[in-house]
Amino acid sequence: MITKKLIDQIEGEASVYFDLKDEKVDYASIAFPHFIGIENILEGKSVLDALVITPRVCGICGHAHLMACVRAIESAYKNANLPVTLSKKAEDIREFTLILEIIQNHFKWLYMTIIPQISKLSGSYQDQHPLKGAFAASLATKALAIFSGQWPHASYMIPGGITCDPTHVERLQALSHVEELITFFEKECAGIDIDSLLSFRSCKEIDALQSDIGDLEKNLALSKMHLKGFSHDNFLVLGKHDFSTQAKLKQMRVSNVDTRYIELDDAYSPDEKSYAKNATYNGMFYEVGPLSRLISSNYPLIKNMHRRFKDSTYTRVMARVFEIAVLLKQARTLVENLTLDEASFFAPSKIENLSSTGIGVVEAPRGSLIHKVIIQEGVIKKYEIITPTQWNLGSSPKNRLSPSQQAMQGQSVDDALFIFRSFDVCSVCTTH
Amino acid sequence: MARISKEERKENIIIMALNLFSTQGFYSTTIPNIAEKVGMSVGNFYNYFTSKDLLAKELILYISDYLGNEIQKINESDLSTEEKTHAIVKMYFNMATKRPEMIEYFLRVYLSNREVFSENCEGMTCVSSFITEMMIFFDKGVSDGDLHNQDFFSAFGLFMGYLGGMVFLNGEKILPEPINDYEQSISKNIYNALKTRT
Amino acid sequence: MIMNNPSQKISIMRSKLELKPRLLWLQGLTCNANAHSFFNLPNLEQLLNKFEILYHPSLGTEYSFEKISECDMVCDVLIFEGTFDPLLKRNNILMLNILTHYAHNAKHIIGLGSCASFGGMFKASSPQRNTGLIFNESLKEGPLLHLEEKVINLSGCPIHPQWLGFTLNMIVQNRPIAVDELHRPLELYSHLAHHGCTRNEYFEWKVDSKGFGLKEGCLFYGQGCRAPMTHSSCNKILWNEVSSKTRNGTPCFGCTEPDFPRTDLFSTKTNMSIPADVPLGVSKRSYLTMVGMAKTFSIKRLEGKLIDYKKTD
Repeated sequence: MITKKLIDQIEGEASVYFDLKDEKVDYASIAFPHFIGIENILEGKSVLDALVITPRVCGICGHAHLMACVRAIESAYKNANLPVTLSKKAEDIREFTLILEIIQNHFKWLYMTIIPQISKLSGSYQDQHPLKGAFAASLATKALAIFSGQWPHASYMIPGGITCDPTHVERLQALSHVEELITFFEKECAGIDIDSLLSFRSCKEIDALQSDIGDLEKNLALSKMHLKGFSHDNFLVLGKHDFSTQAKLKQMRVSNVDTRYIELDDAYSPDEKSYAKNATYNGMFYEVGPLSRLISSNYPLIKNMHRRFKDSTYTRVMARVFEIAVLLKQARTLVENLTLDEASFFAPSKIENLSSTGIGVVEAPRGSLIHKVIIQEGVIKKYEIITPTQWNLGSSPKNRLSPSQQAMQGQSVDDALFIFRSFDVCSVCTTH
Repeated sequence: MARISKEERKENIIIMALNLFSTQGFYSTTIPNIAEKVGMSVGNFYNYFTSKDLLAKELILYISDYLGNEIQKINESDLSTEEKTHAIVKMYFNMATKRPEMIEYFLRVYLSNREVFSENCEGMTCVSSFITEMMIFFDKGVSDGDLHNQDFFSAFGLFMGYLGGMVFLNGEKILPEPINDYEQSISKNIYNALKTRT
Repeated sequence: MIMNNPSQKISIMRSKLELKPRLLWLQGLTCNANAHSFFNLPNLEQLLNKFEILYHPSLGTEYSFEKISECDMVCDVLIFEGTFDPLLKRNNILMLNILTHYAHNAKHIIGLGSCASFGGMFKASSPQRNTGLIFNESLKEGPLLHLEEKVINLSGCPIHPQWLGFTLNMIVQNRPIAVDELHRPLELYSHLAHHGCTRNEYFEWKVDSKGFGLKEGCLFYGQGCRAPMTHSSCNKILWNEVSSKTRNGTPCFGCTEPDFPRTDLFSTKTNMSIPADVPLGVSKRSYLTMVGMAKTFSIKRLEGKLIDYKKTD
């Protein structure tokens, strides 16, 4: 028998169809029923307009779209043998604002989605503070907007640099917001300073924390999430940043990545029309996102978690929380060391003369995000966006399950719904 | 006899000065020459204009306003862009025939003695009403889809340089026919050069 | 729902003594940016506590969407975010039916963002059928036209959190909200985005920005800035309390106006070097006369860099 569940309290809306055997999920398919068609909207427009249109794919990760877009255009310049120069200042500011968007996302997901759900699931009635997520997110976006002008939906990254020209007044203002956010995280969220948290070596240390994160860890364990939600144990990180390493990990064997092997095909959804697509690498599903990023870096705690609990929901959820600390520290370092004596922008050659193809890859809150563009005399001939949710929340027949389908396999409906949300679903990105 | 108002007297000075400057040149014309021509004392003249340079500036403003007003009438008419082009050419050639001193002053004094106009008359300050109306003409022509969208000065130079050249040839009595005979062909040339390229 | 002021927990029960207005947040085709922008409101908790929130897409609320879609209750304030698509279904029920039911009973309807106000960015998804609640761009057309006197449009892509904060607080206080012909509150949309821009002096003296990435110069002449033609208070009530697009060198894209999104957003449309659009309400003749004057002056202070880090660092 097929049971349908409408999922909200995610970004947008999705339906999951469960085929149950002995009250356990024998097969789950996923449908994303709403379609926007941003790629069609982009065709025929000046390619610079994509810097305004593509952030509007998503209200929570529009900044990542902006960066993927600007990288795609810059790569098109390079592919046409036209130089694009970026100052270190411009690169650092871009990185800083991208990181802060990821941080705001993780805070909202933690307080608005995961804690309320684990509280229900574990029966622990952990205190729920959804607006703590909003408060922390608003501090992050404040620091971000100092350079981008606003959040959401800024368009301050342009081929050749950034539009802003900050002074130390702005830099210090941003630093003070980041410091305030770090204090909030340490006091209100982690219950420990970030340096200590980042040097943790085992899950026991988290378990001992008297804090929201400590409670979350205990409730995940109480709900046996360290034994549930296993996926393929395949990870992919495509974006190039200081806070993560590009890599493909198949059962922990590391190899290099090449975006040429990425493919898209229509999602399989027998019970409802879905506009989603599945993203695969060399024909295989990989998990993208914070867990992948941290596995490809070297954090003792995450290594320990993965050794003990593999890619369980416990590991997936805790990795995302841990990434907040990693990124807060990175954001502080960036803004502390930012130098302002370089130009913000070096004008590349005229966009009207550009006929080329480009690809832009970044790490978005939920994982690797790719923009591809074909440009003819400055006008978009074709635009393609591959979002993280298309990797993690793909929907395929039973013989070839996506990471989230695999993770829900064999679980009760309630557990499966929690596992589903642990991937931080974004339907608006999926069916852009 | 009705009393002549101060404004009328001022206008009178401007007309006489235009005549003298454009025929005898800026430096050869003196204030006593002008005062004599208007029939007033040199002392009284200074009640109207405190210096020759200031008078020179007033004259160019006068011409610019005159041209600006004429082109504004054309801009505000229901004519098509092509008809407006013709109307501007016609107006300009008429002015060259009926008020040659104005065009002569513009070409021979204003453009040839820039040092006189360096103060208070920088850039386009003194010809602003004329330039503004030409801008309005070009802007409307482009937004109606009639004219090719290009740099303002490329278009302005083509239009006014051409007309100025013809008036110069006419003034030098080199043109075999009266200048008005060239009106049709020249406005056609200008429009063809400026129109949308397909 | 349960909310928090970092550490304090307040449980909201609908007691008979304090009947709060019931608020319902529905979505058409949307990117959720208005919801996320609203989360940046500094006094969010205090404001939300003034309402009984029946449903919000990302906050845990009293009812599930399945329950809301049964349409057997009513709300006092209806917020609709996103473009209206007459074929859109949520939970397999036509959004038109859900929207009409709640709109009919609501005292106030808020079209949140440019999509809900005019069709906006996502109108292009299906341009033949998608509209805002009572406007299709600037034409009166939409599913709630018969209830237009109740509709307040908060245009913007996305809305500024304080614009919604203002509107909800005025509703709580039972104060009338005066609106313009596009149903936008006058107190938020009678300013232009230009008002309060830190580049104003460059606009006054017609000093163009020499390119992107500079503090100096005005973005109106070359970079496509629509601020002098756009109704919004972006430079009066700063974004995220700290900045605005134009202050940071990004041109205003005119996102609060019915014609958003326009095209060629990073360059100024000109006819023979003359701006095709001039500041609202100013005739082109007056504007060009003023430009002709201002351009003749050369003001050293406005031509150079404000700070040269090469010299100071």
